[in-house]
Amino acid sequence: MNTTSHLLVMVLYACLVGVVGGTLLKETLAEQVRAAASIAGGLLGGALVIGWVLYAFPL
Amino acid sequence: MASRTPPAPAPPPRLLLCALAWFVPGAGHLWLGRRRAGLVFLVTLPLMFGVGLWLEGRLFPFELLDPLVGLAAVADLLAGLPYVAARLLGWGDGQAAAATYEYGNAFLITAGLLNTLAVMDAQDILAGRK
Repeated sequence: MNTTSHLLVMVLYACLVGVVGGTLLKETLAEQVRAAASIAGGLLGGALVIGWVLYAFPL
Repeated sequence: MASRTPPAPAPPPRLLLCALAWFVPGAGHLWLGRRRAGLVFLVTLPLMFGVGLWLEGRLFPFELLDPLVGLAAVADLLAGLPYVAARLLGWGDGQAAAATYEYGNAFLITAGLLNTLAVMDAQDILAGRK
């Protein structure tokens, strides 16, 4: 599993959570797609922002 | 003469619906006629659980002395049939040394928690709140 990309795993996670979240939160297909994209984008964007912020604070 | 409408089918018993919705992700929505949502959950949640196992995640033991491990075990269990199948097949030992171990755990735990939200959603639909 050493070749597994961290970014790819994060994208997959965000997409799966987004799909389920969008389906749970909205009724119509268009709304669900929008909500799924928002959730996935929020997860990815949040992770990248937090990653860059933590970059300034090495362990 | 007024036309008679056929009586609406009786709603499923709540406990049975919740049990089925927990055991087979998406089954509750399918039973209630929400086919698209049911299919999404039926595909997505077991897939998420399977990816978690593939990434060397661990099915946590029910450890009462370590609350976080115990909670993770409950979250794993909430995934339903995928959890039972993985346990029966002896999967989910987890490789803590693997680079993807924590990712795997995140996928496994999240699959269970999202399945719980799907069960609650099915109950809301049954109760007429959605």
